[in-house]
Formats: sequence, structure tokens, C-alpha cells
Amino acid sequence: MIYEGYGVSVTVAGAVIALFIASVVVATLFWMLHPPASYVQRIAAEAESELERLVGSIIVVFSPEINSAHMMALAVKLARGERSELLAIYVVEVPYTLPPDAEMPEEERSALDALGAAETIANRSNVTMRAETIKARSTKQAVLDMAKREKANLIILGSYREGKYSGAPLGRTIEEIAADAKCDVLIGVEGKHGTLLIDEGSASPAPAPAFTTEE
Amino acid sequence: MGSSPKPELRRSVTPWGSFSWGYSDVGADIFVGLGLVLAAAAGASNVAFLFAGIVYVSIGLAYTELAATYPVAGGGQYFVLRGLGDVFGFIAGWAVLLDFTIDITLFAWTAIDYASQLLPILVGSNHPWAHFIMTLLCIVGLCGLNVLGVRESTAFQGFVSAMDVASETLILCFGFLFAFRPDLLIHTMRFDWPTPANLMLGTSLAIISFVGLESISQAAQETQRPASIIPRTSIGLILTILVYALAYSNLALGLVPWHPIVDVHGHPVQFWQIFPNSYPGGADNQGKAVALLAAQVPYYGALAAFYVPVLGAVLLLISSNSGVFGSSRIAYAMSSTNLLPSIFQRVHARYRTPVISIVAFCGVAVLELLFAAMPSLDPHFVGIYDRFFHGESGLDFLADLYAFGAATSYSFVFLALIALRLCDPLSPRKFKIPLNIPMTFRGERVEFPVVGIIGFLGIFSILMFTLQTHPLGRIFGPSWLLLGIVLYFSYRKRKGLPILHSQKRDWRKAQVEILRSAGELELMDEYLANLKASDERRAKAQTP
Repeated sequence: MIYEGYGVSVTVAGAVIALFIASVVVATLFWMLHPPASYVQRIAAEAESELERLVGSIIVVFSPEINSAHMMALAVKLARGERSELLAIYVVEVPYTLPPDAEMPEEERSALDALGAAETIANRSNVTMRAETIKARSTKQAVLDMAKREKANLIILGSYREGKYSGAPLGRTIEEIAADAKCDVLIGVEGKHGTLLIDEGSASPAPAPAFTTEE
Repeated sequence: MGSSPKPELRRSVTPWGSFSWGYSDVGADIFVGLGLVLAAAAGASNVAFLFAGIVYVSIGLAYTELAATYPVAGGGQYFVLRGLGDVFGFIAGWAVLLDFTIDITLFAWTAIDYASQLLPILVGSNHPWAHFIMTLLCIVGLCGLNVLGVRESTAFQGFVSAMDVASETLILCFGFLFAFRPDLLIHTMRFDWPTPANLMLGTSLAIISFVGLESISQAAQETQRPASIIPRTSIGLILTILVYALAYSNLALGLVPWHPIVDVHGHPVQFWQIFPNSYPGGADNQGKAVALLAAQVPYYGALAAFYVPVLGAVLLLISSNSGVFGSSRIAYAMSSTNLLPSIFQRVHARYRTPVISIVAFCGVAVLELLFAAMPSLDPHFVGIYDRFFHGESGLDFLADLYAFGAATSYSFVFLALIALRLCDPLSPRKFKIPLNIPMTFRGERVEFPVVGIIGFLGIFSILMFTLQTHPLGRIFGPSWLLLGIVLYFSYRKRKGLPILHSQKRDWRKAQVEILRSAGELELMDEYLANLKASDERRAKAQTP
């Protein structure tokens, strides 16, 4: 007997049993609620853990050839969900016939518009974003240098601008960046270019004929 | 244009949901059973719970292995169907259906009894109509909840189960810490040991208070990753309930009451002595043992005296909900294997729940409620019940059948466990009962489960004891089965299906489909590999 009085009888055996009951119940429930993951769940968990590495630092690229406006909203959503660092850059390519710091008012004006729209999208989602305009001889090299400086995990690019098709399906600059980048590259090609799936006989795209199979 | 896919039960039951379905049944049984066992087994109540616990663990392990191996709605009935064939599968399922419909009525009724502790207007003996209407509303409400979908009702059960686990653990911990005397327990066991007959009676009552594991396997088809989750939730449930049952019985025998209890002569009595019928109000006390015990725990009892009756009522209500859940799912499973008409297989297109099954068996529960309540609602029926039912009340009659149904179906489940170990050794068993004898059967290496034999002998003896000690159960239990068999034969004849034999089924294909739909893809691969290896062995053996 440890203590007796005030209507209470505390014994060693009682205290040990009380502790045993609490321990068994808690341990049993904890074990029960933490089953081992299945193979599929392990794959999903690995993919989810990759996401943080994938989108830790994001660069969205704009240039006179690259239209990334439609990808900016996606980049903002990714950055907000994963609390990523977000940087939007506009690359103004300076021809070799001009000095590197030559003024190019028309392109710089386009840069202000593109980055201004990007900031508006980010502000609406309460995402902090940095914006930079870069003058360079080569868009590809400027993007790759920036990705290296910023230790970017992901470069997001839109598609080429209409009327500037240069022989590569996604645009030569975009393909070169994708080929040489040391990090992941996400290229968003707008759906309007996917004419193969559209019934050419009708004005509007057919609902879903692409998945029909032949008997 | 292809036809729309057939709606299936959605897998939304989480590990806690699976646990709470079983806990809501078994936890409520202890609320009712503790007082009955203390009244019958006196100083050996803890021993009665220990004996019953051994059988209960065997039943639990059998269900765990089978539900993890065959994660489909139907539980015991499906296992018996696969192991012993259609006729026995139907009998087992029909017995469980009886149990579940009684479960709905019995526990809704007693939930109102518990509530009447705080709301005197619901006391059945004084206000039978209020008691009847509230019970009826409970059944109808639970029916609606289950029609809306398992996620909603699982969330409801999960919350209440969590509350009850916390509450019971606190009661026991505070009770052992502040009010337990080991010398008093030893003294009680030494000087108040019951007669062998009373010990047997107490043991049979204790095993009834463990009924409820069926609910976990009933929910197997809706449980996420059932082969992995169900073994854990089943073992978690077995351990938790076993600890509670043994702890409650030992605490009750060694409890130093916070407020002294005296008999009619003013002499002090021990806590457990207020339960036998010889004590004034003893019969009333039997139905609220946990509430009375909680109130005697120093300091904490002041709070527990208020909330335990409420918690008991809610827990009994969700146990009733388990009856709704179980009966509808088992009917779904039986109709999908042509043991019952296919109407019970229909799933609501929006809620994806077996609406017709739910409504039909809640209807049966309402009929049982009418039967049970009739003597109290209309005094003219008292004489009729006295004459034809040996003076037992409607609830006694239901309790008899409850015991009969449980013991019958569990006996078949043990036989099915043994049969499936022998006939289906290739199905991967993520959980396997320990104590097995390796042997060769029909060219395959199998493991004979010793626990299956022990469990069968234990539960079969309890079935015999139930038939011997319950005169109404002895008559109406087999009568219920006979009625079911007649209906089964007529249905099978009308459908042109074999009556005494089993319908031919491709169990291999069925097992692959079960594992695939359960999301247990690794087990499916293992099963297919086992099949391939077995077929190659047989082909090699047949080659001269």
C-alpha cells in the first residue's frame, strides 16, 4: 500500500496495472493505425517527396520567341503549394552587330508587359516573385546561366510564338534549353497547336473521337 | 456505346473506421455483459472472462486470417460458402442475418434504457410508448444514415469509438490507481467462488459479450487495402477488448467503493455483490454495470456518473448501427452468390450503398421491436406471452436467438477455416493463425490449424450449452434456420440452380478479382505465381 486516505487506496499493484492498461491500449492503437505501406503507396510517396526537390526553385522564361504567359499561372500554383522560390525572367537577345548594353526599347517594353502580367498573377495568389530582364547574346545561354546561378530545380517554358517557326517542333531555343539544362524543364505547348486530334471537317473540335478503337 | 459500369461498394473505410465498426459492437457488449457475468460467476468473474477470452481470441484470429485472405463483403457467410459449399454458406449467413437484425433492435432498445438514466420519461416500465417510439426512431434514423453512405456512418462510429476508448481507459486507469485492492480481489476469489454450473453460465454470458468481430470482416469489401489493414484492426480490437474485459472484471472484484454500499440490514457489501438477483435492485444493476463501476471511482466518478450513461447509450446506438451495416452487407454478399434473390445486390447509383438490403433488414428489425415491445404496450398480450413463451419477455426471446445465431455461425466459420486451409492453400495469407501442423493434402503442402479445432470445440460447446439452457432459443433458433432452408430451396428451384449441391464457380478467377479490386496487387501477383507453380507441378506429375 502506497497511500490510503480521503477515500483513495493507492497500491503498487494498482498503479502498475493502470500503467500497463494505458500502455497496452496506446501501443496497440498506434501499431494498428500505422500499417506498412504497399508497393503502390511507396511509389506514390517517393513521387511526392520528389515534388519538393522538383519545384524548390522555379524559373519562368519569357522572350520575344517564347510565350510563357499561359504557364505563369501554373508556375504560381506550384510555387504556392510547395512554397517554392519563383523567378520570372525576360531575355532580350542583343544581336552581335550591337554592343551588349545597347538600348532596345521595343523589346524592353515587351519585357515590362510580360513581367508585369506575371507579377499580377503572382500577387493575386499571394506568392512572392522576383522578376528580371536580361540582355544576352543567346537566350539559351542566358537561361542556363540563370538556372545555374539560382540553383533552379525547374525551368518552365511556354511555346514558340506563332509566325516564328524555326524548323524545330517546339522552337529551336526551347529545344536547346531542354537538351542542355541540368535541371528539369517543363514545356507548355498550347492546345490550339494540337490539330491532329481535331476533326478537320468541323469548325469546332470534336468531343472525344481520339480514343475510339477499331474493331 | 458500351454499357455503364456496374456500381461497386466504394473503398472508403480507413483503419480507424474498420476498428470502430468492430469496436462499436464488442464495446457495447461489455457494457451489457459485465453485470450479467458478475451476477452469475461472482468471485470467478475474472476467470469466466479469461475462459471466454481464450475462445474469443480463437474466433478473432480465425476471422482475421479469413477476412485478410478473402476481403469481400459477407464475412463469415462467404468463408463458409467457399469452404463448405452453398447450403452451409446459406445456413451460416442466415444465422448471422438473424443475429444482425436482432442486434439492431436489442441495442437500440438498451440504448434508450441507458438514456433513461438521465431522462426518466424514457423509462420503459413507466412510459412504454415513449420508449417504443424513441427506439423506433433510432432504427429508422440509422437506416437513413446507412443509406446515405458508409463514409458518413463510419465517421459517426469512429468519433464515438474514439470517445469510448478514451473514456474506458480513463475509468480503468483511475479505478486501478485509486480504488483497487489486490488483497480484496484474492479474498473475493477465495471465498465467493461460484458453483461449476454458475461458472459455466458466467462463461457463456462472457462469450456473448465478446460478439462483434464479424463487423470488421463485413466491412472488408469497403476497407482500403483490406489484406493489410484488417489483420491490424482485428488484432487491435482483440487486444483492446480483452484488456478491457479482464480489467473490468478484476477491478469489480477488488474495488474499494468510493461511497460505501450497504445491504438492507445496513451491513457493508462489496461492489460486485450488488449485481446478483438476491440483492435489492440487482436485476436493474446488471444492465448498467459500467456506469455503476465508473461512479465508484474516487473523484473521477463524480464526472463519470454523468457522462457514462450517455456514452453507454451512444455506444449501444452505434452497435445497433453495426447491425444495420452487417445485415445489409451480408445480404449483398449472399445475393451476389445466388443464395438470396439478386434484388439485395442492387447498389444505389448515387450513394453506392445496398439500399434495398438496408431497408429490408431494418424492416425486419422493426417487426422484432414490435414483438418485443408488445407486452408492455398492450397488457392483453402479457397473458399470451406468459402462456406461449414460458413467461419470458420479448427481449429475453431476442437474447436467446442472439446467442444461438452467433454460436451457430461461429461454429461453421471454424469448420470453414479448416476446410479452406486444406482446399485453398494457394491463396496468399497475409496473416496466418499460429500453431499449425504441416502436411500434404491432395498433392499440395498445407498447414492444418490446431487453433481451428480448439476454437470449434469451444464455440460448439457453447452452442450446445445455449440450446440446453435457453428453452426458447432451442425451439425458435432451429425454426429460423428451417424457415430459411425452405426459402432457399424454393428460390434455388425457381432459378434452376442446384439445390443440395453447390453452384460451379471459378474460385481462382474470383480470387484474382477480389485481390485486384482490393488494391492488393502484390498479393495478386503472389497468388498467380502460386497457381502457375502448382499447375506446373501437377503437369509434371502427370507426365509419364
